Amino acid sequence: MVMEPTVAIETLSLNKTFGGVVAASNVNFKVLSGEFRCMIGPNGAGKSTLFAMLCGIETADSGQIFVFGQDVTHTQAFKRVRLGVGLTFQTNRAFHALSVRENLAIPQASARLENKEVGQARLEFALDAFGLDPNDEIKAAELSHNQLQWLEIAMVLVGYPNLILLDEPAAGMASEETLRTAKVLKHLNSTGLTTVVVEHDMAFVKDAAQTVTVLHQGKIFAEGSVADIIAHEDVRRIYLGRA
Amino acid sequence: MRTFVGLISGGADIGRTRLFWISFGVVVLLFLLYPTQASAFRVSNVSFYLLNIPLGLGMALLWGYCGVLSFGHVAYFGVAGYTYGVIAGNMSGNPFGPLAGVAGGLLASMFVAGVFGYFVFYARVQKWIIPILTLVLTLLLETFLGQTAGYQWRVGSVLLGGYNGMTGIPWFQVGGFVFEGYSFYYLCLLLVLACYFGLRMLVNSNFGQVIVAIREDELRTELLGYDIRARQWVVFVLSAALAGLSGLLYVQWGNYITPSQVGLLQAALPVIWTAVGGTTSLLAVAISAFALNWITFTLSSQGNQYAMVIIGGLLVATMVFFPRGIVVMVAERLGRLMTRRAAPPRQP
Repeated sequence: MVMEPTVAIETLSLNKTFGGVVAASNVNFKVLSGEFRCMIGPNGAGKSTLFAMLCGIETADSGQIFVFGQDVTHTQAFKRVRLGVGLTFQTNRAFHALSVRENLAIPQASARLENKEVGQARLEFALDAFGLDPNDEIKAAELSHNQLQWLEIAMVLVGYPNLILLDEPAAGMASEETLRTAKVLKHLNSTGLTTVVVEHDMAFVKDAAQTVTVLHQGKIFAEGSVADIIAHEDVRRIYLGRA
Repeated sequence: MRTFVGLISGGADIGRTRLFWISFGVVVLLFLLYPTQASAFRVSNVSFYLLNIPLGLGMALLWGYCGVLSFGHVAYFGVAGYTYGVIAGNMSGNPFGPLAGVAGGLLASMFVAGVFGYFVFYARVQKWIIPILTLVLTLLLETFLGQTAGYQWRVGSVLLGGYNGMTGIPWFQVGGFVFEGYSFYYLCLLLVLACYFGLRMLVNSNFGQVIVAIREDELRTELLGYDIRARQWVVFVLSAALAGLSGLLYVQWGNYITPSQVGLLQAALPVIWTAVGGTTSLLAVAISAFALNWITFTLSSQGNQYAMVIIGGLLVATMVFFPRGIVVMVAERLGRLMTRRAAPPRQP
């Protein structure tokens, strides 16, 4: 008997406008547990707004959001985190005034207990792969851009999530660090961590993604494997540029 | 025991070295010995400087550590003081009346702060509006209390007294032991030390780290799984209780309270103590609250009408020359100097 894969996150007819600007229009988005999904699209396509609605920063005008089968449409952000959702921001938001150790200590008290063993293993792997010392007393403000990005990913992993949403985790990184980030995220995903990434860097997407969703003008424009998306004529026109 | 020492000597406040703790011990010893060398009048004055420190510490916790500025924390000072006056005054002659007054005063200040804070934090009022709302609350309280002159404004046998205030408030006593003069001084000193060490442990705990995280970035903290509104509310109520403690000690010290204690001028003082000392250190604010009360009291008692102008000038000078606070920046420079001296000389 083949088990149906569980749905990690699902939206039904999600809509959101800011004034006259449509940020999400009838978005039906579904990610299965254990999947590595990348989201691409031109600036203003609604990727970050969709992330903001998924984790509870923004409220949808209409539609529904489910996390691991639970309706979280009206659930506050911190309660969604307790359901196993982790998020890193487009602009790094580690606590710059605090040390690396303190940054990693803060999420500990809110960590989910049911996922502890596997979550701890993921955290230790990521810290090692990113070269971060969890006892480092250096202030986060003194870290390099790459280290700050990695520190924020590690902070989210401290909470032992089942699903991580990463908004441009490799933004501003050189190609070597981008691929290093992709490699770590791929390993974490191989342990069952559902991963959804907004990323502009196509090298990252080609390397890491199992499925790609293309957003355009607040709508899901296309969805498929990396090869399908790259070959998609209209996606090439609106986003990738014609060869 | 190790946890206790770790919480006391953690890095969330200035002063972690052995030399610091020896100096701290010496200062406490000097305070303990002070009544043996000074007149009752001077001891009473120092009691006044000490009794304001919990109010300053509460402000440091709320503003410096949690990032929420209250411009009206004297409201809780006043609520506790008036409530103590009403309860202890009505239980006059009962040796446990003042104790009931203390419990009632603290609960009243925490209740008012709890209700006010609930609406402020759970409605997610923007941070820049909070100082205005808190100031409005204390000015409303001052206006209300100011119009309570007349016999009709009494609670039991205690008159609220309008702008003349409430007088004849009983000393603090437990059973037959009355705290006045020297014993009141030691009570203030003990409470200040208890508040300081308690708060130092709090800010070095995980709770303390989370409130600093809230100050740094509310959204990031919430997306690490914390209900930031609940934590801001807890800190607000705790800081109000500390303001209430100062209010209780104030009415026990002077046996009176007037509406001016919750007025605009008084409302500005804890903010000034905190800014001048340094918002991010409990010890700095404790030193600043003591020193600025001493300066204000000394200038005022010598007939200097410009005491508050001088304090205001000090605030402006601090903002310009010591933006992180005088005590904090002096402590940082001293720390750097000591580190440089302790470091081995460089090889040529």
